[in-house]
Formats: sequence, structure tokens, C-alpha cells
Amino acid sequence: MNIPDSARKPYQSELSRWWWLKHRDYRLYMLREATVLPLLFFIGCLLYGLYCLTQGSAYWQSFQLFMQQGWVIALNLLAFAASLFHAKTFFALFPRVMPLAPAALMISGQWLATLLIATGVFLLFGGWL
Amino acid sequence: MTEYQLLVQRYDPEHDSKPQRQHYTVPGDHTTSVLDALLYVQHQLDPTLGLRWSCRMAICGSCGVMVNGIPKLGCKTFLRDYHTDIIIEPLAHFAVEKDLIVDMTQFLAHLSAIKPYLMNDYSGTAVHKQTPAQLAKYQQFSNCINCGLCYSACPQFGLNPEFLGPAAITLAQRYNLDSRDNGKAARMPQLNSKNGAWGCTFVGFCSDVCPKQLDPAAAVNQTKVESAKDFIISMFKP
Ligand code: SF4
Ligand code: FES
Repeated sequence: MNIPDSARKPYQSELSRWWWLKHRDYRLYMLREATVLPLLFFIGCLLYGLYCLTQGSAYWQSFQLFMQQGWVIALNLLAFAASLFHAKTFFALFPRVMPLAPAALMISGQWLATLLIATGVFLLFGGWL
Repeated sequence: MTEYQLLVQRYDPEHDSKPQRQHYTVPGDHTTSVLDALLYVQHQLDPTLGLRWSCRMAICGSCGVMVNGIPKLGCKTFLRDYHTDIIIEPLAHFAVEKDLIVDMTQFLAHLSAIKPYLMNDYSGTAVHKQTPAQLAKYQQFSNCINCGLCYSACPQFGLNPEFLGPAAITLAQRYNLDSRDNGKAARMPQLNSKNGAWGCTFVGFCSDVCPKQLDPAAAVNQTKVESAKDFIISMFKP
């Protein structure tokens, strides 16, 4: 006699490694995670600049020439756009995880703080402060 | 009446080695839900179609299916919102028993693993008072209907079925936030593990598909904060 359980044959599909292409939501998530790639390039530039700074003026000038190249500017602009996009997603998520105030208020507060700090840093390094 | 084209995934464990799609044409108007359409198929066209449902009013959580690749409650999804063929499949990431019926054993095991009940020292018939503000802290997370849609939306659960997953972690957070509960210390070890809150990478799709707007992604990430606090406190304890 058949025990009912023995008639079972569950079908389990495997999640392909391309799962993140399946939905718009997954693609946006991957885009958010991928914003780290151009940022790595930017950090590389920063470290290279610091290194040149310690090596004297000839190095420093070569660093400046390096930074003026079209593709370097393009990649750094991409890194800038990527970090803005990441900030946007992060700022939207933060009030949901730490609901301290109404979400809209928290989101605009975060952008305001970013703007203030960025302006401060800009003025400081530009020698205006 | 409009005619709608359904492509329904079929799987008969007694005869099939893998699922295939079957086409049905069903009539519908602006009130016809996906569940109504599937029941029309079962009653009028093909009695062999297997599916689960009960309440038809988005409260029992048993009618979850993938509609055009998105996890949905069949009874809360309407044909009028679709203008192409409607592809209906069983909930993703679960093993298929037959047609649209999946095996939810793992999901239920995860739910019970996090000790989803009040733990405290009250005894007897004492009344547990709770202020509206204390209720508000966890109320949103207490509306879960255990439909499992969030597990079908979660790629981390798809990749690793041991991951406790959105609804279970949300349920743990619901009890941890309850002023009448003292069971947090008993729940944290599970939540701290790599199959607990840290298995989540904040894809966030679970919150989009949740039919009761629980925002499970928020609950999971609140749990990460709790878990981090728990870790720091444990470093200072002898
Ligand atoms: S959290 Fe939402 S999607 Fe997940 S099981 Fe509960 S009601 Fe369903
Ligand atoms: S039939 Fe109960 S939730 Fe859809």
C-alpha cells in the first residue's frame, strides 16, 4: 500500500546566478551596490595624490596632469553621481530603520547636513575658511 | 466581460519531471481577481488544477502566487490591471508540491524558531496593561498574515533557505518591541547569527510585495541595530 508521503515529489527550482536581472527592483539594488566601483577609483586617485604630495613637486605636477585627463575627469564625475545616488537610497532607508521623526523631515535633514558639511569642507580646503 | 489569457504553471508530481505552462482563456470584469480566474479554470475548464486559498479577502494568507514574476495574493490582485498575457506561477524559492501549491514547511519552521510568543514572569490572572504608545511601537509588525510573499521576493532566502527571512525576523522584532515581553535575550542568539538579521543585504523587495505593508525590510534592519548593540554590550560583560 502507498503511504501518502511516498507519493510526494516536490520540485525545487534553483536560483540562477543571474537572479538579479529578473526584476527592476533587483537591478536597482545591484546598481546601488555597484556604486562602490567608481568610488574605489576615486579613492585610488586620492591615495595617489597623497603619495605624490610626499614625493615633492615633480610628482605633484604629474599628479595634476593625470587628474586633468578627460577619462579621469569622466570617471570621477561618475563616482560623484554614484555617491549621490547611493546617498539618495541610503537617506530614504534610514528613517525606516530609525524612525526618529517623520520620514520627509529626516530625508531633507540628511540632505541639508550633507550640503552643509560638503560646503564646509570645500571652503576649508579652498582656503576660504 | 473581457477575455483574459492566463498562462498557468502546471506540475504533476506523479507524471512530470519538471513544470510546464498551460494556457487558459477566462472571462473577467473589473471585479475579477486572479484567484477568481483560477477558480473559474478549476470549476469550468480543468478540475485537475491545484491551488490553495481560503478567505478570498486578503486575511488568511494562503493564496500567494507569482503574477508576472511578482509575488502577489491572488485574491488581492485584479485582472483589470493586466493588459498582456498573465503568467501565474507558484511562489518562488519554495519547493512545488503540485501546480500552484508550494511546501511552506521551512517558512513555518523559521517562524516558530524565533519564539513568537510573549515570554515573561507574570503568573495567574494579572492584567497586563499597555499604553497606546507602547502598542504603537510594535503594532505595524504584528499585522503579518504569514503569506510568505516576502520570502518569494527575497533573493537571500532563495540562495540560502536557512536564512530566517523577512517575516520571521519581523515577528521576532514584533515581540522584542512589546512592553509585556522579556524574551529578547532568548531571541537574540538566533537573530545575531549569519542566518539571522545579518543574512539580509537590504534588497528591500520584501517590503514592496508585503500585502499588509509591514515593511519587513525595516524590521530586519532594526534588528541589525539591536544585534550590534547586543554585541557591544556583551563585550563589556564579564
Ligand atoms: S511580512 Fe508581509 S509579505 Fe511577509 S509573510 Fe507577513 S504579511 Fe506576508
Ligand atoms: S484567499 Fe485568503 S489571503 Fe487570499
